[in-house]
Amino acid sequence: MTLAIVAVVAVTGAALGIGTWGVRVARTTSDLFVASRAVSPWWNAAAISGEYLSAASFLGVAGLMVKFGASALWLPIGFTAGYLTLLLFVAAPLRRFGSYTIPDFAEARLPARGMRVLAAAIVLLISGCYLVPQLKGAGVTLRAVTGSPYWLGVAIVALIVALNVALGGMRGITYVQAFQYWVKVFAIALPAILLLIHLGGLPARAALFGNELPRAGASGMVITLDEAETLTFPDTGAVRVVGPGELRLAPGEAVPVAEGIDAQTGEEWSRPVNETGRGSPLLVYSLLLATFLGTMGLPHILVRFYTNPDGSAARRTTVRVLGLLGAFYVFPGVYGLLGRAFTPELYATGDTDSVVLRVPSAAWPGWPGDVLAAVVAAGAFAAFMSTASGLLVSIAGTVSHDVWPARRRMRRRRFRAAAALGMIAPASLALATREVDISVLVGWAFALAASTFCPLLLLGVWWPRLTPFGAAAGMLAGAVVATGAITAGLISHASEDTAVGALLAQPAALSVPLAFGTMVLLSLRGRPARDVAATMAALHVPERVPV
Amino acid sequence: MSILDVYLRRLRREQLRLSLLSLVAFGGAIGALPLILYLLPGLHDVQLLGVPLPIWLVVVPPFPLFFAIGWLEQRRADALDAAFGEMLGDIEQ
Repeated sequence: MTLAIVAVVAVTGAALGIGTWGVRVARTTSDLFVASRAVSPWWNAAAISGEYLSAASFLGVAGLMVKFGASALWLPIGFTAGYLTLLLFVAAPLRRFGSYTIPDFAEARLPARGMRVLAAAIVLLISGCYLVPQLKGAGVTLRAVTGSPYWLGVAIVALIVALNVALGGMRGITYVQAFQYWVKVFAIALPAILLLIHLGGLPARAALFGNELPRAGASGMVITLDEAETLTFPDTGAVRVVGPGELRLAPGEAVPVAEGIDAQTGEEWSRPVNETGRGSPLLVYSLLLATFLGTMGLPHILVRFYTNPDGSAARRTTVRVLGLLGAFYVFPGVYGLLGRAFTPELYATGDTDSVVLRVPSAAWPGWPGDVLAAVVAAGAFAAFMSTASGLLVSIAGTVSHDVWPARRRMRRRRFRAAAALGMIAPASLALATREVDISVLVGWAFALAASTFCPLLLLGVWWPRLTPFGAAAGMLAGAVVATGAITAGLISHASEDTAVGALLAQPAALSVPLAFGTMVLLSLRGRPARDVAATMAALHVPERVPV
Repeated sequence: MSILDVYLRRLRREQLRLSLLSLVAFGGAIGALPLILYLLPGLHDVQLLGVPLPIWLVVVPPFPLFFAIGWLEQRRADALDAAFGEMLGDIEQ
């Protein structure tokens, strides 16, 4: 446990140190916003990957895999494929266009009053949605590792990130993010590889791939429940409220499952595609669509493309990102498999999000497991810090640039004030919404991004006839339908096994075509902007060509 | 409409065609994967290093595929940009 604290402090300290070094380099306003646009493709790619690999990637994928099965493995595919669509359609043109933020792009491409404000409002909404779960993850992790109160982890990460962003801006953050990418890859890969070598293969194979449920070992099992849980005992089908306290299982007894989890045999659990449940083809395709198109619309990802020196460098950066993400995403599945074998008590406590943190000590008792657990904890902290920093940069940039603009000399101070203020609301929300499921907020952010900024960018970049009115109406329609569906799904508790329930939980399949359709139909009826030819030239003419 | 506009429109079309082609390539491969696994449940009994084949198929091959398609697209797109630049250079001379 002390080891874990040391590792977390070391990584956090190193991040602060690099951030401070970045401050000395960050002198001009341009440094703060876009790192003077002179970051090399490798640095930029590591920074983008560092920023993107969030709590959802580091802890969430393995946690969902333990909870629902191998269908969670589609998530990394969607997360990475999102970057490929970004490369194919928007990376180079957006960089050439030369705006600081998405609201800048929206207003320059579609000159209309209100366009900037609408885009800025959506940026703040998506960033906020995404920032809250990062802070919550920090609170949960610090609690799991050290036993500290939940609010402490939230407060620590909120404070460090706000300081780092306010002082270093984008340039300091670029180096911090790049550093944190390598921390994360190391922290997830090394323990996974060493554990597999130590174990010499996967244990409990019947419960992983065969016709068995996870069961207590030959000497039984003791599960500590922090709160009272409604448990289903698969052997007898009995449902009982148990705890708080210790629950003893007889040798060979199947591990009970908490509310919201189905007891699955290894065979059902390990299929990426299934007849029903999370692995049903409809849900898999809807999830792929949301992640696929949502990535492009995440504001903290797009703002980073402006730090490339030119459009061609933006393309090269994105290709490197694809490689770096792929290297990371091989490993969450390993923790999912090991987690089902070694920490089946998580099915009873429902705390599957902590599986990555718990597997090393459970699979390799003694000091080696503790050292590896400390490494993993440090990586998890790097994950919250880097994603939260990127989100805060985009929040502060949007507030100080679009919502509450300042004259030239005041800009830097305004950016810093916005960074400090921008952290207060999400941090309070994270403290207040401890009970809300993390994946709900993340899913909403992706669905919102896919049904607003994704059509705006795709049509804005490639279709000259897009009109401001059509774009605004489409974004509003997409945002309203995505939000409405998720809210309706939460209220009605519709089962994801039905087609309607699946669409409510994962509305991208509905809201994205609707947003595109609205934009196209309304634009066809209106007249495109007058100087659209010049705008299109700015998007598509390569930099080295003097026109 | 000037000759520049004509060339620029052609460049935009070519870039868009290249992007759509790449999208079809990787969308087809990744989009077919869930369907293949759904239609061939027997793949689950084939094991590699003790892990069922479907898990391998989902965890490993998509990522090199993304990288390869991205790399090819980037080279081709840069080449299209360069050709456009040369063409404009010829006109000016």
